[in-house]
Amino acid sequence: MSVIATYQLTKVFPGDVRAVDGIDFEVNAGEIFAFLGPNGAGKTTTIKMLNTLTRPTSGTATVAGFDIVKNSAEVRQHLGYVAQDVGVDEHATGRENLTLYGHFYRLDSKTIKQRVKEIFELVDLTGSEDRMVSTYSGGMRKRLDLAMGLIHEPEVIFMDEPTTGLDPQTRVHIWDYIRNLTKHVGVTTFLTTHYMEEADRLADHIAIIDRGKIIAMGTSDELKRSIGGDVVTLSPCVDKDDECQEFIRRTEAVLSGKPFVTGTKATDGELAVYVNDGGSAIPSIMQLLSSQGIEVKRISIARPSLDDVFLKYTGRTIRGQEGTPTTFAQVLRRRSKRQK
Amino acid sequence: MDAVADTWFIVLRGLRARIRMPVFIAMSLFQPILWLVLFTQIFKSLGNTPGLGGSSYLQFFAPGVVVMTVMFGSAFSGFGMLMDIDMGILAKMLATPVTRASIIVGHVTAAVVVLIVQALLVFIIAAIMGVHFATGVPGVLLALVLVTLLGLGFAAFSNGLALLVRRQEILMTVTNLITMPLMFLSSMMMPGSLLPNWLDTVRHFNPVDYTIVGVRDLVQQGYVWSDLWRALAVLLAWAVAGIAFGTLAFRTRAE
Repeated sequence: MSVIATYQLTKVFPGDVRAVDGIDFEVNAGEIFAFLGPNGAGKTTTIKMLNTLTRPTSGTATVAGFDIVKNSAEVRQHLGYVAQDVGVDEHATGRENLTLYGHFYRLDSKTIKQRVKEIFELVDLTGSEDRMVSTYSGGMRKRLDLAMGLIHEPEVIFMDEPTTGLDPQTRVHIWDYIRNLTKHVGVTTFLTTHYMEEADRLADHIAIIDRGKIIAMGTSDELKRSIGGDVVTLSPCVDKDDECQEFIRRTEAVLSGKPFVTGTKATDGELAVYVNDGGSAIPSIMQLLSSQGIEVKRISIARPSLDDVFLKYTGRTIRGQEGTPTTFAQVLRRRSKRQK
Repeated sequence: MDAVADTWFIVLRGLRARIRMPVFIAMSLFQPILWLVLFTQIFKSLGNTPGLGGSSYLQFFAPGVVVMTVMFGSAFSGFGMLMDIDMGILAKMLATPVTRASIIVGHVTAAVVVLIVQALLVFIIAAIMGVHFATGVPGVLLALVLVTLLGLGFAAFSNGLALLVRRQEILMTVTNLITMPLMFLSSMMMPGSLLPNWLDTVRHFNPVDYTIVGVRDLVQQGYVWSDLWRALAVLLAWAVAGIAFGTLAFRTRAE
């Protein structure tokens, strides 16, 4: 049974910006479903439509069987929301934060007390219930944030970039918690991320989203298999200058169309060559290139990653997107957050 | 019932946060004391001026300080809402079944509750400094009703503005731009009879002035019902306008 189902879900912002452009997908009960894509792909907008924070321009969706537009009140009662900003109150204790949300979900005081105890155990915060959140570490805050989305035992929990801004070690920890939550609590999880590893490790199903459209969907293995074979990455030069780009163009021209090559994609300073069998392709590649006088500085062979999937469908890497320019407003916001 | 409960819990959260900031409590008391001491020293020689009501300048000025305390406190209360927006707390709350209106009502109520306590404390400090209350305790209670209505309007406007502008710098500028003239275009420091004609006219469009006149009557003269009824009517309209604006801003931005 699908806990989330969307029907041509669309959000258009003023200026005809199609942030989410007619997407269809279904999420099964009890699974972790990841929306993978670069910043600005439409991930957050999708979550905000599903958790009723913003209305779709057209199309609709059901969450836990309720229509997000017509039955928004019921939808809210059945979902938990973990936003990208850690929305916890620093001037309150962990228990006070959690209790407030218990009341918002119409739980009685006795149930809240019991749930608070259970949930603090679940996210390993037992003993810190009555400390002010301002004394919590970043990882603890995120765990409290997760806990707040679970107080009412929701059917589905939405996590928007759950590990963005956390250090790599804490990130791995949070992944463990997310996995445990779905396993023990049985909650259906919908998360967005621009970390391929996050989607790869956590998700049962992945939808790759770019510019408001789903460009590929399936399990991690299915997606990787869809490219077929291996990826051979060639670096013909050390410096990423114009000369290097010229080298890559020439290399691509030599290799594309050869029978053992299923596709090529050039990126900044590197050329990805998709082949059926990497082991036998490398000698042929080397031979072809040296006969054209092209010297390869580095060559590597790998099973396709989700980044290769993204690259194959969009011609860009997700990694390359991480350095999107920060707006001045974002800088100000972050600064004011630090001051608090 | 849910709405009442939701509001209650949000008010509780607001009060708790304020009580936990000792700096906030200290500053909010220090400022009115500073006003009372400094201004009464500066204008001391005006104490015998005829239009002042025949008593000391402190006696004349203290009601104004009470009103000022409430006005500034409530006019800046939108910063709490802005912080909730910046920290992602508002968005998180809106994704729960919480009654929408109780969020803004809760924010405004928490601010006003704190201000009533503050106003009462300023009255007590004024009494200690030697201010005589013509109407006694019942008069002070009626004065608190007046300033509560004033604070309600300001707090609701400020919270609504916070939701609309969403930037600290803008909120700060706009609030200063509104509160400063409202303070000076009133009979706070000088009785109306001693003000230039144009100012004496303008102040009749200023809800702050109605509050000052009402509270000052209660402290200096007694129950001047013509003034008091007018103040009550104007301030009720002011509070309703503020709440309407705040709710509307909340609907536009949060839904």
